[in-house]
Amino acid sequence: MIPLGSVNIVLPLLVGIPLLAAIATTVVDSRRWRAGISVTFASLQLLLIVLWLVTLQHTGADAAYRYVLGGWNSPLGINLVADGLAKVLLLITAVLVLVLSIYSAIYFTDPAKTTRFWPLWWLLVTGLNAAFIGADAFNIYVALEMIGLAAVALVGLAGTRTALTAALRYALVGLLGSLCYLLGVSLLYRTYGTLDLAQLATETQADPMTAASLCLISIGLLLKTALLPLHFWLPPAHASAPAPVSAALSALVVKVSFYLLMRFWLDVLTPATTELAMNLLGILGAGAIFWGCIAAFRAQRLKLVVAYSTVAQLGYMFLLFPLVAASHSPSSITGAAAAAVVYFIVAHALAKAAMFLAAGNIQMFNNHDTVDKLQGLARTQPLAVLTFAIAGVSLIGLPPSGGFIAKWLLLNVAIGNGVWWWAIVVLGGGLLAAAYIGRVLHVAFSHPVAQTIDTDNANAARHPPGGMVLCALALAACSILLGFNAEWILNLLDASVEPPIPGVGGMQ
Amino acid sequence: MFLKLEFKENQATSGELSTTTRVLLAIAIVALGTSLIYAILSAGKAPPDLAAQVAEKLDLSGVGNPVTAVLLNFRSYDTLLEVAVLLVVAVAIMPPRLSSSAGKRFLFVNDTHNPHVPDPILLNLLKWLVPLAILLGGYLLWTGAYSPGGAFQAAAVIAGAGVALSLGGRHKFAWEISGVRLASSLGLLVFVTVAATNAFITGTTLQYPIDHASTLILLVETFTTVSIATILLLLFAQLKSLADPPGEMHQ
Repeated sequence: MIPLGSVNIVLPLLVGIPLLAAIATTVVDSRRWRAGISVTFASLQLLLIVLWLVTLQHTGADAAYRYVLGGWNSPLGINLVADGLAKVLLLITAVLVLVLSIYSAIYFTDPAKTTRFWPLWWLLVTGLNAAFIGADAFNIYVALEMIGLAAVALVGLAGTRTALTAALRYALVGLLGSLCYLLGVSLLYRTYGTLDLAQLATETQADPMTAASLCLISIGLLLKTALLPLHFWLPPAHASAPAPVSAALSALVVKVSFYLLMRFWLDVLTPATTELAMNLLGILGAGAIFWGCIAAFRAQRLKLVVAYSTVAQLGYMFLLFPLVAASHSPSSITGAAAAAVVYFIVAHALAKAAMFLAAGNIQMFNNHDTVDKLQGLARTQPLAVLTFAIAGVSLIGLPPSGGFIAKWLLLNVAIGNGVWWWAIVVLGGGLLAAAYIGRVLHVAFSHPVAQTIDTDNANAARHPPGGMVLCALALAACSILLGFNAEWILNLLDASVEPPIPGVGGMQ
Repeated sequence: MFLKLEFKENQATSGELSTTTRVLLAIAIVALGTSLIYAILSAGKAPPDLAAQVAEKLDLSGVGNPVTAVLLNFRSYDTLLEVAVLLVVAVAIMPPRLSSSAGKRFLFVNDTHNPHVPDPILLNLLKWLVPLAILLGGYLLWTGAYSPGGAFQAAAVIAGAGVALSLGGRHKFAWEISGVRLASSLGLLVFVTVAATNAFITGTTLQYPIDHASTLILLVETFTTVSIATILLLLFAQLKSLADPPGEMHQ
């Protein structure tokens, strides 16, 4: 029997806390109470995770502890497990949930919207945490369903025609993805008689049945991750959602399915993977980088620029697969390539959330977000433009941002393994990102043209409250600070990677 | 919120897929289908599934029905999350305000303004059918412990009684929104509370103390039934309000 006071009770609590917050925000009948409960629970969650990680570091406890729910060992029961990868993602989720909860508490003023937003928000967080710590293939399906449904409903919260159309398409794509995943999982159960990921990992063979289930699982998860050419649903959904929802979708929700792809390809079903398929994923990723950047450069609306930028940034993550294939590392999920990509995920999550919040503030101030009409924005909304620029620095990958370290790690792996062509993709993507960020900043810093001052919308526009501006700026600052604390994240990953630059990583 | 969606031709997105895309999609689907068939044909003998393990541990689960044992004990975490998924649906479709002008009843009020004359035969049938359906729901809930049945089935039958009542023409939905919110999250609340209480008693979340397992499972199932029935009825009421003339449901 495990003592209740043990540090491992944290794993079920990570699902329990957001569930309780969801119930509480459903039942209470006041906007202030809902916001207060949410910020309290979000702080509690972050505090819990930080204490947990600190305790684990000090006691040197087992890196990948399994919590046996209900006392039933797998394969009969369901286990929860958190390895280094899951820990990093849980931490970044908790940080973003707190900041976005504070932002949303100010952003949503209409009581009709807050009655929906807060319960859906917390159910989304429940799904995210459950997917990160799930050790059971079917349980992960339930978590994916919860994330998918909550995310669709949150997009629809914007209430505009574009948002509802995008939400409906998002729902259908998500459903198709879930069903593909479920079919793959049922084939696995038929073949191996277990749903537990660790047990599957020890038994997997390279037979056609396993390959077919890996194929189905991958199609399902690629649809949800929006890798080119399956990205078509992402830009309208992410661009038309309310600002904090856009931030959560781009920063966290698409990462969940990518995280599961990492698990299945590099850990669970590795014998069924082939070098050709891994390289194909990399080529699609490279295509996503270039197409996403070009589409971002040509997009008319600011939020659409940011959404296409997500398509491009997701492409970098898929470079993981060819880099792992090139490195022939036996423990690929804790190898250098995986560490680089996880670092990239964290850097992108912070920068992209900051950028969507800044775009939301700009949209609130102007009551529109057409890029070509944003002249003079640097004078009227300097902090929003500053936030956008800082986040842009990280997305381009300029020092000293987190994005720079992430790309540096990727380049190191690519050149170290002699696959220099992937290094060219990383560098080229950075230049293209500079183009679309530069375009927005160029307009923002140019002199206002007379016609843009008094548009029809001028009356409905209002200054974003200071709290919202600060939330965005804080996230942007974090994305820079991340560049100075590379070692800490890498330690958390239990990865055997040297900090990229002595002096930068070692600043403590 | 999705109820306002109009299914009209949307000019911006109605663009048909190009022939190239269609051909590529067709090739991809045929390739996937063929390889699936090949994989299934080439698959070896299936390993023993978990049914034997479930049968072995059934005595420790507190219930006699293997399906209920899996859903509410061995894999109760899945069911807990499923109940939360139902809450997502409830919140997504819940109108911001849902109350009737005619007093604050929980479920139904008499609909005296209905222009359609209700069918007397239908009304008399409903007098028998509705109590019977609720009774049947209770039976299904109870019997789930040792034979097919359980919360989901019970809730479906009870919600069916509500649907029949609303279609009879004499009653209309009159829900107070705070009641609906509480009823739809009650199952989840009780489930989480039981899971947490178990952690204090046995030391492990969701691990029932063996002596009280059947009682606790019945408790969870009862409240889950209330929530699921509420959510199903809510779904029906919201769809019905689309078909009815405006002003009937909303104020």
